[in-house]
Amino acid sequence: MFLTRSEYDRGVNTFSPEGRLFQVEYAIEAIKMGSTAIGIQTSEGVILAVEKRITSTLLEPSSIEKILEIDSHVGCAMSGLNADARTMIDHARVQAQNHTFVYDEPIKIESITQAICDLALRFGEGAQGEESIMSRPFGVALLIAGCDENGPQLFHADPSGTFTKYQAKAIGSGSEGAQTELQENYHKSLTLKEAETLSLKVLKQVMEEKVNSVNVQLCSVTPNEGFHIYSEEEVNEIINTL
Amino acid sequence: MINLDFLNPAENNNVLEQEEANEYMENLSVPTFEIPLVHNPVEFLKHQTHAAEQCRLSIVHGTTTLAFKFKHGVIVCVDSRATSGTYIASQTVKKVIEINPYLLGTMAGGAADCSYWERELGRRCRLYELRNKERISVAAASKLLCNMVYAYKGMGLSMGTMVCGWDKKGPGLYYVDNDGTRLEGDLFSVGSGSTFAYGILDSGFKYDMTPEEAYDLGRRAIYHATFRDSASGGIVSCYHVKQDGWTLISRTNVKELHYKYQDEPKAPLV
Amino acid sequence: MALAGEDFCIVAADTRQSDGYHINCRYAPKAHQLSDKTVIGTSGFYADGLNFVKKIKQRMEWYFHQHDKTMSTTAIAQLISIMLYQKRFFPYYVFCVIGGIDENGKGCVYSYDSVGNAERVQYQAAGSGNELLQPFLDSQIGLKNRSNENETLNLTEEMAIKIVKDAFSSVTERDIHTGDCVEIYIIRKDGVECQKYPLKRD
Repeated sequence: MFLTRSEYDRGVNTFSPEGRLFQVEYAIEAIKMGSTAIGIQTSEGVILAVEKRITSTLLEPSSIEKILEIDSHVGCAMSGLNADARTMIDHARVQAQNHTFVYDEPIKIESITQAICDLALRFGEGAQGEESIMSRPFGVALLIAGCDENGPQLFHADPSGTFTKYQAKAIGSGSEGAQTELQENYHKSLTLKEAETLSLKVLKQVMEEKVNSVNVQLCSVTPNEGFHIYSEEEVNEIINTL
Repeated sequence: MINLDFLNPAENNNVLEQEEANEYMENLSVPTFEIPLVHNPVEFLKHQTHAAEQCRLSIVHGTTTLAFKFKHGVIVCVDSRATSGTYIASQTVKKVIEINPYLLGTMAGGAADCSYWERELGRRCRLYELRNKERISVAAASKLLCNMVYAYKGMGLSMGTMVCGWDKKGPGLYYVDNDGTRLEGDLFSVGSGSTFAYGILDSGFKYDMTPEEAYDLGRRAIYHATFRDSASGGIVSCYHVKQDGWTLISRTNVKELHYKYQDEPKAPLV
Repeated sequence: MALAGEDFCIVAADTRQSDGYHINCRYAPKAHQLSDKTVIGTSGFYADGLNFVKKIKQRMEWYFHQHDKTMSTTAIAQLISIMLYQKRFFPYYVFCVIGGIDENGKGCVYSYDSVGNAERVQYQAAGSGNELLQPFLDSQIGLKNRSNENETLNLTEEMAIKIVKDAFSSVTERDIHTGDCVEIYIIRKDGVECQKYPLKRD
């Protein structure tokens, strides 16, 4: 199948005769090699869970960060090229702070997702003649979780700049299996506690290693407490209930 | 060659387009300010705002603020009057700007200058915190503010502020003003009534005071400044910065303090 | 001027536009409705005021499309402060007040100087009659320096409108820049109403 693409997958902004942008599609492929990340939205808040790949016993697990805070009411989990994600998240942080600076209110989750996706397409020239700031599309997908006046929400943003709202979503290498698992177990009346367990249960099934408090990272975003990363003890407690 | 074009129309258009683009992008990471299209913008602005020029665009001024470090942290006390010329524009100004839960800034000089730049400082401190996963030190925060206003030196900003907080080094207190001065110290007072406040502060200050004694000293100094400086008055606010952030101690009307101190026995002179 | 009650807010402005001793226009509205929760009153240089209001409305329109909601009164209040400050070195010659209903359904008033210093207050007068009007409001609404310290005012809408009308007719007596007509915007939970009353035209 790759033979037919050879002519049209060189330039980032060249369509193939079938109307496809291969570089963007390849970028989406890149995510499927990334570690698995899961997001679950409930009426009490949103849970994000990611696996950390500890490739060596000499590796310091705390140096792998796959969940980051955007603002006190928004968090973000990533899968794919982590370095790309940092650029996007920094952009999101600046946008969120600028919004608070000008309007004295926290930014909406959908708006912050839109701001990230605006950046995702800046590999070509902009419509108003803005300079392109990247030579290629981002190789990362993000799960953006947050709480605003519309309640807890979960968004998924991919390298094509598309964003979609989900009740539960899995990205990364184990996403296919995890998504089916989520589909079977998700229901609207899920509590936050149940979502914590569900997220780790699903991760456990798709991860090669055994789940422990070091190789997963978990966070919650709730209307009252905002963004919170679980400590190792808190994660252990949930693992013990599995 | 006779040229009647006052402004090159093409160039003028560009300015407008650029302005629209700036506004649309709402990109405030580098704040943009419009400059009047005149030969010398600074002189032009002075003509518009200077008190001697009949105060065409009066900007709110006048204050007494003080802050000092002592054994239990930092005390910040301010009055609440804003004057524009001889008119009292407000008696209820909040001159302590709550930058975030562990940093306070005070306001003296142009009220808008102080509140805008300290708001900007708050935004940058928050970004610092997100990026570095730790709170910014008071020294770094005050340096940020100092660098921001230094970039506009000579443009007519008016700001005299004290940045107070608590970091790894303990309590922090810095004085920053619109000239770009930045001083670390244990005791500062800023504003038109500062000399009166210094008199009370210097005579009553002891490093190992109890917090209650310190609150009273701060309030007393501001009260006496409002008594002699007509540009200060209103309500005396008192804040205490501790290790786990600041707390508002009191907001007292000057009238109440007046009757309270009036009835107290005066200290013997010798 | 603007004043806030428990669950309503009033913004009122006369409609005279004058230049020195010369009256240019007898009906030049200075108060403008920004949304169904917020009204702005401007004074100072009339063209700057109109232009400034136009820019606020433009920003609100952008905000509406970007965030899919109408800007709240507190958001407008902060935006105005920033917009005024961005012209710090070439200020708009406007003194504005905004009145509206905040997120908690309470009446609120914000007052500004020409470069964006903002303060939330209960009542505020701005413009040429400012120095005549503000002491009157201090006494009638602020109840400043009353002998009975515990006196409280339960400001009803009818009372507030009466005070506003009295205020404007009194200022018209003593300020040459005020007169002709007063527009009173009453902002309630369920929308904005505008009433007009004639003032002396001398």
